[in-house]
Amino acid sequence: MAAQHGTAAGQGNPLDHKDALLGVMLIAPTVLIFCAVIVYPLVSALYLSLFRIYTPTLQGNFVGFANYAELAGSPEFWRSLLNTAVWTVLTLTLQIVFGIAAALMLNQAMLFRSLARSLILFPYFVSTVVAVLVWRWLFNDLYGILNHAAMWAGILDMPLDWLGSMPNSMISIVLVGAWKYFPFVVIAVLARLQTIPEPLYEAARIDGAGAWSRFTDVTLPQLREVLVVVVLLRAIWDFKEFDLIYLLTGGGPVIATQTLPLMVYKEAFGLNEMGRASAVAVVMMLVMLVFMLLYLRVNRAQDQR
Amino acid sequence: MSILTKGDLTRRALGGLAAAAAVAAPGVASAQARTTLRWWSPQTAPAQREAYNFQIRTFEEANPGVRVVFEATSDEGYPAQMAAAFASGQVPSVVTHLPSFAVSNYWQAGLLEPFNDVIDMIGPQNFYDGANRVYEITPGQYAGTGIGNSAANAMWLRRDLMERAGISATPRTWDQLRDACRRMQGGGVFGVPLPYGRNSMTSLVFICFVHGAGGQIFTPDLQVAVNSDAFRNSLEFYKSMREFAPPGATSYSWGESLTAFVSGATATGIYTGRVLANVAAQNPRIAPFITAHEYPTVSASVPHWTFNDFPSVMIPKVAPNMPMAKRFAAHLFRADGYIRQLHAAPGHVLPVLKTISAMPEYQANPIIQANRAAVDLMSTMAASGHNLGWESPRHRPNTKAGQVIASHAISEAVQRFVINNEPIAQVVSTTAQRLETLMRA
Amino acid sequence: MKRSILGGIAFNLLAWTVVFIVAFPLVWMVITSVKPQFELFRIPPTFWPEQITFEHYTRLLFETPFLTYMRNSLVLSSATTVLVVGVATLGAHSLVRFRYRGREVLAQLVLFTYLLPSVVLLLPLYLMMVWLGVANSLFSLVIAYTSFALPYALWLLRSFMQGIPEDLESAALVDGATRMEAFFDVILPQALPGIISTCLFTFILSWNEYLYALVLVNTDAARPLTTGVMSMLVSAFNIEWSLLMAASVMMSIPLIIIFAFLQKFLTRGFGAGGVKG
Repeated sequence: MAAQHGTAAGQGNPLDHKDALLGVMLIAPTVLIFCAVIVYPLVSALYLSLFRIYTPTLQGNFVGFANYAELAGSPEFWRSLLNTAVWTVLTLTLQIVFGIAAALMLNQAMLFRSLARSLILFPYFVSTVVAVLVWRWLFNDLYGILNHAAMWAGILDMPLDWLGSMPNSMISIVLVGAWKYFPFVVIAVLARLQTIPEPLYEAARIDGAGAWSRFTDVTLPQLREVLVVVVLLRAIWDFKEFDLIYLLTGGGPVIATQTLPLMVYKEAFGLNEMGRASAVAVVMMLVMLVFMLLYLRVNRAQDQR
Repeated sequence: MSILTKGDLTRRALGGLAAAAAVAAPGVASAQARTTLRWWSPQTAPAQREAYNFQIRTFEEANPGVRVVFEATSDEGYPAQMAAAFASGQVPSVVTHLPSFAVSNYWQAGLLEPFNDVIDMIGPQNFYDGANRVYEITPGQYAGTGIGNSAANAMWLRRDLMERAGISATPRTWDQLRDACRRMQGGGVFGVPLPYGRNSMTSLVFICFVHGAGGQIFTPDLQVAVNSDAFRNSLEFYKSMREFAPPGATSYSWGESLTAFVSGATATGIYTGRVLANVAAQNPRIAPFITAHEYPTVSASVPHWTFNDFPSVMIPKVAPNMPMAKRFAAHLFRADGYIRQLHAAPGHVLPVLKTISAMPEYQANPIIQANRAAVDLMSTMAASGHNLGWESPRHRPNTKAGQVIASHAISEAVQRFVINNEPIAQVVSTTAQRLETLMRA
Repeated sequence: MKRSILGGIAFNLLAWTVVFIVAFPLVWMVITSVKPQFELFRIPPTFWPEQITFEHYTRLLFETPFLTYMRNSLVLSSATTVLVVGVATLGAHSLVRFRYRGREVLAQLVLFTYLLPSVVLLLPLYLMMVWLGVANSLFSLVIAYTSFALPYALWLLRSFMQGIPEDLESAALVDGATRMEAFFDVILPQALPGIISTCLFTFILSWNEYLYALVLVNTDAARPLTTGVMSMLVSAFNIEWSLLMAASVMMSIPLIIIFAFLQKFLTRGFGAGGVKG
């Protein structure tokens, strides 16, 4: 029996070995749900990508890797991939930076702090569709308050075309994306901040550290684990984001803000090509997989240092 | 036992199975059993729902034992929902208000029940002339019928602004339109709310301009026809109108274009009769000055071309309770309920039955009454309207129209030329190629 | 002393300005929802309403199935949250505190399914629901939402639990507790802020999910707020702005209330000073 637990042998608490069974039982419901609900759709998607499928009937014929070959030769695909990467990196960076800053701010004593916290989370609460419709209204050139306020303040003398020309379109979606999702970072970081022991800060202060070094030497390392996961989850989620970009710019002008999820939707339901849509989706998955594996490996290396 | 032959046994077994199946099969209606019909539509504003509830109630009263359940889908959700429904076999009994190109697409895949019976129940003579031709995809068979008409590219004018600019005649040609806009623009008011965004409105509106130049997107037997002078002229003209549209027009879609006119920011509009209801609710101040007309074409010798997406009624082939479903589809056109439906979106959804248009009950709606001329004009315009699925009476039905729009080939052509200033030859050839690939697929 | 009061005021001013900017769309929504329709699209736009009306709220509440949708959303999101957080907490504990073969791979595999966009998972998932006989029901939505909330919750909780010092649990075990007793008495209270924030995420995720609800459920009896409100008020040709703003305000309120309530748990500093040395 003991010989089976090769890697664990001689390491850690001997209790760990006996409890391996309990551990497996605890993770079993997760695995079960995962297998039952996800595996079939996942395998379907992989399978369908090898066919030419007419969406309304889900019928079609086998084409092997033709879908993938078409994608490789399609400038639209490569541009969409680039757009997706640009969008993800930019909006993720802003989400993390704003998120940490806001969490730090909301960790201090302030008037009506609970209310402030609820309000900061509002962008995350509100449904994406509604939020985007409201933003389109605010961005509008005729009756939108943003242009109006900027003109009144003298910053602009003509209304700005926020959504219909580059680079405005990309900037706008990145900003709205950051606004919408930074509260996710706030929640996670704020929860973690609560559990950082005060004595650590006191020790740093006694050593003469200023606010910034207290942040980099005490707070950040403590936040590391949460941030690692937050970055991973948010990166995946942002990469897959559909509603926000679709409703805000539709992928335009031309395909300047078209991302891969928009392309998947267009193929699946606009062009009724479920096979090609699945192929794009599989490529998306592979890209994210590579990122995820690299990311986790780098982090494990850091962990062991 | 021994006197039974093998054949007898098999027959008895089969008979037993059949009996068992008959008992177990759902939808086998005995006199007592309830039949349930499911009705799907993406048009579900509160006012419309009230009308639907009325129609459901009257149908249930007239057909005891039948229950009708209304289920709302949506304009962006219906492709996925219909696909899921067809794939799983759990289809609704009746689907209304999908655009005609959706119907032709499904018909081509053999998913729909021919609608001839229902049209006969409604009375083919009651329809406006040619109202159903867009649905005659296979000769002699109708894939569905229209439940309402919309004149999507009606031109709306602000008479007060025209007076102020000294324009008395309604623009008939493109040059006149351009001139009128130039004179009316100023003081915070723009000429036109034309869309230049990457969306379906831009595609659809631009198709209207192509026809306004005397051209077409496809030939009557569906060869790509964009490599034509008409197409190039319309691109040039559309680009030249950019200066009369608000700065944000590069991302305008239906909502923004509509509101631009309704809020008074543009002197002309291009929209359905929805303008009337919205003006009444959101900007009643300008209501007395609004008139509707057919949209200008390049010259007086090119006839007007109205875009009508012909919101449809259709019945999936494998819908349960087919006879009852057909009765219900016909019931939707019964005057009392139909008028209520039309009044829920007055001026926007127009009757397909000319008998209804003539009824005083239909006309007894404040918005319709206040704008009789506009509504009558739009009804006639829409009834003889066309769309990408059927560009002219000589055209074969184009079952790929929906995909052409969804591919953004046309709106991207507009954007490339107008916003990116790409050379026209390149834009035209790229667009032609894309359309050809789509049609071949 | 003076400096810190000034500093405090300056900080509060800055903080509240930031909050106002972030919450501005909410402010806009609330103000628009009480404006009568003819004030909506004034050019130049007005901020404060000239007249205040609650007609949009009454219309929404009494003339549409809005309340049914809200009930469905509450049931759906609560059920999903309970299921997901329950399963994920156990799973996260297992991943962090136990050793067995394939542990890391399992964690990564769970996340792996996450990488496909929902659009392609949609139709097979729907067909599966039909096959199970639960299509068009709230239960099918709970299953679907669980499928994509679970990886999220699992990873989040795992990171929180990794931050809990091992000594706490070992101490309890030395005192004679079983592993599960240690889990409930020691680990859970420590992980509470993490669990609460995961509950919040999951709830919000289910509350705002749109695409799955759009395809999987069609009947009003099981329709949640997201699709109910959208289908009713937003169509290709027209948007019922006033009703939409009123609906959006009402959709956000339960979340704000829940969060205000949960805040206490989120910030109770169980960890502070918990372990010496």
